[in-house]
Amino acid sequence: MYRSTGFVSFVLRRLTGIALVLYLIAHIWVIGSVNGGPELFNSRLAAVQTPIFKLAEVALLAAVVYHAFDGIRLLIVHYFDVTEYRKSLFYAAFVVSVILTIAGGLPILLFAFQG
Amino acid sequence: MASPVKSKSMATIRVQRFNPDSDAKPYMQEFQVPNLQGTTLLDALHRIKHEQDGSLTFRRSCRHAICGSCAMNVNGRNILVCKAPLQGQLDRKGAVTIKPLPYLPIIKDLVVDRSTFWNEYLRVKPWLVPPATSPEKEFRMSPQEVAALHNAETCIMCGACYSACQVVALNKEYIGPHALLKSFLRVLDPRDSIPGERLAEVGTDEGVFRCHTIFNCIDACPKNLNPTQAIETLRRLAQKRTAFEAARVERQRTIAGSLDAEVTPAAEGGVGDVP
Repeated sequence: MYRSTGFVSFVLRRLTGIALVLYLIAHIWVIGSVNGGPELFNSRLAAVQTPIFKLAEVALLAAVVYHAFDGIRLLIVHYFDVTEYRKSLFYAAFVVSVILTIAGGLPILLFAFQG
Repeated sequence: MASPVKSKSMATIRVQRFNPDSDAKPYMQEFQVPNLQGTTLLDALHRIKHEQDGSLTFRRSCRHAICGSCAMNVNGRNILVCKAPLQGQLDRKGAVTIKPLPYLPIIKDLVVDRSTFWNEYLRVKPWLVPPATSPEKEFRMSPQEVAALHNAETCIMCGACYSACQVVALNKEYIGPHALLKSFLRVLDPRDSIPGERLAEVGTDEGVFRCHTIFNCIDACPKNLNPTQAIETLRRLAQKRTAFEAARVERQRTIAGSLDAEVTPAAEGGVGDVP
């Protein structure tokens, strides 16, 4: 295995991409149940309101934010001659993702565990 | 230079061994060699082969970092062992780990099978295809056009980039950074007459659009070349292949003209068209 920051970004990009697809399936499973009537919808919605799913929501936020900023990083590489700054760009995307995950994740958890 | 390894008189060379005739799988073997200033890793391997184990197998030739034979994986990085000082590669315990280039089939010890590497190289037609009409005396190129090729023309075909590429590891149909860099060299050369054909060959999901922009090729290149940037340039050109091809025809009309003809590279299918 040839380890590098590029490899880390490659693996994270794939893992977060798979996570987002899995989330989309779960999302459709819940939202799609509205066709089955209010009782079915409410029961499925209740199934994803547990504390473990609140933690999963924070993980989802992290996946969305990282995947988005990694995409922006790649767009910058594609359109500008910046391969010289490849490591800095990766660290920037990663740090911004962590900051936004904390900023968005804290309110989710505070709201979930207070109420 | 107060290096902790300097006090050790002997260096430990951990080499990955594999003999397909007798071994089920590769294993690591340690050798001790004198830790001398001015010794390269290749010198150390030679010393082992000559004095300790003649069966140790590795490729090497010029010892001047120009033949590209001795690329190996040292402490996890692909480098040329002939230009790597032994003392610069030793860890705190005075040891260095040498393995064959990753992601390629091992023939024996540190020798790998480079068949896919060369097949992909030939696939991009690495040679120059001149126009039907050649100028009487010489092809005239501008300094900018020559400078644009500098990123690619000093490649020594060592395979360090190819075997550092995770896309190659996952997909042997991928053309690879070495061949794409060579294709970049030919596509940007104003003397080449088939840039459209070349861009059609590399502008596919087995070519430039398969690259995942991992940058390992840049990190691995012992000549400090930039295959990733070449791939990015080819991506852009592949998307406007027809226009680029037409500009090249016009540019070559200028090249084939008399020596007194004004060469305006930036305007006519030269580097000025490269984003």
